[in-house]
Amino acid sequence: MRQGRLIATGAMLAFCLFALWQSLLLSLTDRLGPGPGFFPFWLALIGAVLAVALLFTTFREPNDPADAEVRILPYGPGGLRWLAVVVLMAAVTIAMEFIGFRLAMLVFNATLVIALGERRWWVIAVFAVLGSFGVYYVFTTWLDVLLPTGSLGI
Amino acid sequence: MEALGHLLQGFAAALSINYLLYAFAGCMLGTLIGLLPGLGPAAGTAILIPLTFSLDPTGAIIMLCAIYYGAMYGGTITSVLINVPGEAASVVTCIDGHQMARQGRAGSALGIAAIGSFVGGTLATVALVAVAMPLASLALKFGPAEFFALMVAGLCLVVGLAGNNMMAALLMTVIGLLLAMIGVDPVRGAPRFTFGVEELYDGIGFVPVVMGLFGVAELLLAAEKRQTHMVEAELKSWMPTAAECRQSVGAIGRGTVVGFVLGLIPGVGAIVPTFMAYVLEKRVSKTPERFGKGAIEGVASAETANNAYANASMVPLLALGIPSSPTIAVLMGAFIVNGITPGPFLFKEQPLLVWTVIASFFVGNVILLILNLPLVGLWAKLLKIPFSYMCAGVLIFCVIGAYGLKQNLFDVWIMLGFGILGYLLRKLDFPIAPAILALILGPMMEKSLRTTLEISGGSLAIFLDRPVALALLAVPLIVVGFVLFKPRSLAPLRESDVE
Repeated sequence: MRQGRLIATGAMLAFCLFALWQSLLLSLTDRLGPGPGFFPFWLALIGAVLAVALLFTTFREPNDPADAEVRILPYGPGGLRWLAVVVLMAAVTIAMEFIGFRLAMLVFNATLVIALGERRWWVIAVFAVLGSFGVYYVFTTWLDVLLPTGSLGI
Repeated sequence: MEALGHLLQGFAAALSINYLLYAFAGCMLGTLIGLLPGLGPAAGTAILIPLTFSLDPTGAIIMLCAIYYGAMYGGTITSVLINVPGEAASVVTCIDGHQMARQGRAGSALGIAAIGSFVGGTLATVALVAVAMPLASLALKFGPAEFFALMVAGLCLVVGLAGNNMMAALLMTVIGLLLAMIGVDPVRGAPRFTFGVEELYDGIGFVPVVMGLFGVAELLLAAEKRQTHMVEAELKSWMPTAAECRQSVGAIGRGTVVGFVLGLIPGVGAIVPTFMAYVLEKRVSKTPERFGKGAIEGVASAETANNAYANASMVPLLALGIPSSPTIAVLMGAFIVNGITPGPFLFKEQPLLVWTVIASFFVGNVILLILNLPLVGLWAKLLKIPFSYMCAGVLIFCVIGAYGLKQNLFDVWIMLGFGILGYLLRKLDFPIAPAILALILGPMMEKSLRTTLEISGGSLAIFLDRPVALALLAVPLIVVGFVLFKPRSLAPLRESDVE
């Protein structure tokens, strides 16, 4: 946990320093007053100072034995389910561009519920169809929300 | 009297068949989403935003507000029946509510929760009508310096509640503000931090970010733990007895006052009023030993305070344009998506819209009462939905919500990225609420500060010449001072409390 907090704070420090550098590339002031870089510059500077202070205080915290048992990254069977959700979300985002919402969601729904433990094929099939073609119909026809049709036009 | 006239006009609009249907659908969906453990009102409201894309702005806001207080009640059902709070504010309800369920009095607990929520919500809305317009009129006298100071004070109150984690909360606030800087500069129109990516010119979308940080992150945490729930309690009746109602009258009255007063203060999470109302009830009770063993006053006080808080927290949003919690920030995002800027000008420029929305709070409270008393059995059955289907269903809504606003797959990637980030931040105990509030207030804060400095020719001394701004800027110092030098006996609130 402590190590994880140090890494996360370090990443935030890097983010603030990057924002600081980028804001310096913009004008801090102009003839009318503060320029586009003014607010982000001061924010990034304050953020960097806070991140350094947080790094320092976290580093000085005494080691808690209970911390060693806390895992930040997912692991074991739970980790596999976590990974399944993330990978399938990424896959459906890529797939929607090419095969459209309906087909991409059909496969996503079926694969996700199987990955999360469902085994009854008919329930999976009904859910996948309703959650893709059914949802598409409701949102595009009744709620006027445009959803991707993909290069195949489906 | 002026407010009453506007309110009557608002009622005439809110009682039209379309708006009644939106409020009804919002209450139903909100209760449903509140039932799902882990998905609180903020995630629920964010996930269901796509349902309002095709509605007119008033209808969209009515529906989203109904989803909000529906979700607040939905969390009560899981607290009573399976001892799992659907959202943080329902934690206190578990204490006596689940004990009542174990004694075969689940119906009484849920019934008094519905009645208390109705009374608390309705009385708080009456108070909102009385307070909001004078407050908005006062805020109309504010210049950019006062608005900037007000936003700084609002953010600092949220940060102050992070307790010992205050430095992390401050850092998260700055990160949220920096993320809000992405896109075209609101004053000069120059692109900032866009790196030539066309999709970033409009800034990072608020909807995909909150859907990621709340919806997707919650599901990732739940997927890892594999949450499954079984309904343990049987429902015999859904009405409390006359004796139980008499016992709860005082608790409902006190809960309303506690919930409303604390709802006016930005940063006070919903758990604080529920907890305080519960403690107050235990203190004034002649038989405090019954608390924790199924005392109906415990449920009544917490649930009343919860709903009174929910309605009162709309006052800072509508009158000042300041979101007091992440859920209200999501609602503010929905206002902005629909082309409405909450704040004092709203009462002046769009009185019909704002009074219709306020009138819909009354209507929504009645709908919730009608829905929740007889439908308790149905809601209990819905708790048996397996996690795999709940997870897939919520993700479908997230994808539609992130994509639907701008028809842009880039926003779906943003949502996924912030989902993973939210998961990690939760595990590392970094508070998310300040970042969300900062993200929505960032552009307005920058505009106010830069306008102030343009007026003063770049001198910060302008804040010293304006007593209201100076007083508001003193709030952060008081908050920081209190957190640093408070008595050791005052335990800090956790991130879950703030949310």
